[in-house]
Amino acid sequence: MNAEILAYPFLFIAIYIESFILVTFLSKPARAARARLATTVTPSVAVIVPSFNEASTVEATCRSLLALDYPADKLKVVLVDDGSTDATPEVMTRFEGHPQVLIIRKENGGKHTALNAGIAATTAELVGCLDADSFVEPDSLKEIVGCFEDPEVVAATAAMSVHTPKNILQHMQNAEYSFGITLRHTFASVNGLYVTPGPFSFYRRSIVEKLGGFRYGHQTEDMEMALRIQQAGYKIENAPRARVYTKAPPTLRGLIKQRTRWVSGFIRNILGEYRGLIINKRHGVLGMLVLPTALLGIISGMMLFGVMLYLFMKNVIEALSVRVGIPFSYAFLPHGNFDWYYFPATFYILLIAAVLTASITLIVIGRRISKTPGTIAFGIVSYTFLYGMVVPLWLIRATSDVALGKRRNWRT
Amino acid sequence: MSLVARNALIAFFITLVLAGTVAYAINYLNRARVAELLEIENQLSIDMLSLETQFSLLEAEPCESVASSTTLTSVLADFGSRLSYAENELGSDNEQVVRLKKQYSLLEIRDYLITKKLAAACNVKPVTVLYFYSNAGDCEDCDRAGYALSYLRDTYPTLRVYSFDYNLDLGALQTLISVSKVENDLPAFVINGKRMYGYLSLEELEKQFPKGALSTTTSVI
Repeated sequence: MNAEILAYPFLFIAIYIESFILVTFLSKPARAARARLATTVTPSVAVIVPSFNEASTVEATCRSLLALDYPADKLKVVLVDDGSTDATPEVMTRFEGHPQVLIIRKENGGKHTALNAGIAATTAELVGCLDADSFVEPDSLKEIVGCFEDPEVVAATAAMSVHTPKNILQHMQNAEYSFGITLRHTFASVNGLYVTPGPFSFYRRSIVEKLGGFRYGHQTEDMEMALRIQQAGYKIENAPRARVYTKAPPTLRGLIKQRTRWVSGFIRNILGEYRGLIINKRHGVLGMLVLPTALLGIISGMMLFGVMLYLFMKNVIEALSVRVGIPFSYAFLPHGNFDWYYFPATFYILLIAAVLTASITLIVIGRRISKTPGTIAFGIVSYTFLYGMVVPLWLIRATSDVALGKRRNWRT
Repeated sequence: MSLVARNALIAFFITLVLAGTVAYAINYLNRARVAELLEIENQLSIDMLSLETQFSLLEAEPCESVASSTTLTSVLADFGSRLSYAENELGSDNEQVVRLKKQYSLLEIRDYLITKKLAAACNVKPVTVLYFYSNAGDCEDCDRAGYALSYLRDTYPTLRVYSFDYNLDLGALQTLISVSKVENDLPAFVINGKRMYGYLSLEELEKQFPKGALSTTTSVI
């Protein structure tokens, strides 16, 4: 049997999901969300900055929050030092006495405990979170607060990009984040979000308290909270122009650790406490499409990688074996003119091209709707050639961790 | 119908249309390939007949046909490459591929015979290689041997390589196999009349060519 056939179902699923995203992007609710103006009403807001050993970035994070275009008397920044062992406490003291800043120091208990401590220390109507390695655009808060003009909305997410990407891996993540902007915006329009990410997600304080505050959530407290909100039947929105920039891991090792935590957290949450959401009509697109597809995506990501690796290696070995003994200049360098006749247009290659083209389209859309400045060209190139090769690394690691019951430390 | 259900249906429809379009495009491309092969084959048949006629007309001075013969061999080689690619894409049991392979083999045999006649009449010594392969899965070294011969043909434009599928059901080919006394031990080569079996390296193949008989630039025969 031709091994390419094994890849077809996964490629069909990828095309189907990308088509669904594009169709939903063009639908009325998404168009209305894009047309939504920044808020003119300004409820009281508190932004919690949970920090553990973030001495190098927490000051810039705090300053970007203080530069937000929002009435100063309505905005509070709560810096929570979660038992840092570096210079984070000293850096935070630079903001002591600032009328908008509240500093809390506590023993290390994990990010969810830092968030809960921050929320407990404020009385703001809306509470948000900003990881201490992230920075916001001045107009982003007004964009997010605008989402809460709909009384059914209890949480809202922002549009994330990578902060000053430098190497190829960070550029790849930047393109992926741009894809995420489109995805989040589109799924939010049909209430299909299952993560309210650490960088600049906001909640109605009353709902967070009603739901019992943040939990450990298998090291993915932002996902756990979003799933709990969905389980309770509330609505999560997205503000596509609320730009926030976050530091992305610069090394493959760091990236694999981060994503292993995300993916294993997702599997543990979704197959554990939130299993009831899957294939549940009551939860609409989230239960019937988003969550099943996300689970299937983990399986298909690994399977597709396996099939593609096998086909690639088979072709390389065959190509090398017939070229043994032939001069390099003839065997490995292009010769002759381009001839359409020899264009390798197989079903497998054209389906991959279709998936990739749709992905690039979604990346570009994300960039445009968020109005993120700068070019994404290098990000798209690195995404095209690198992403498919690195994703399986953390998918395999995360699934084996879950299967073997292995739990890793947040930072190892 | 809810918005989500409607969008899910539209997405499903788009997926079907896209997959169908891809399948149609591949089919269209393959049909265009076969059409191009047919066109080359038709042209080759005419050229071959023309050469044979020319050869008969110029019985007193047959060497006038040498240039045409060389050009024809080069076109034949290109036809062979395209046919081989089409065979990979469409499968070796595709009816049109099999028919074209038979036509190609016949053209090769005719070209081989003309080359031999011209060589005798014009006192030139072309290097000819009859190469027999099988793609029935019983010849491990055939791909390597085929690639090495392609390299030699591209390097020495005057070298005349004729490739034949040993298992092709074609009377003329089976007669050629019989008169050349080639056994079913593939890959097999007949280099200027000398039979050899198994994979031969570039050096071993080049060693079989008469010294100085091949040049790396194009010339007549």
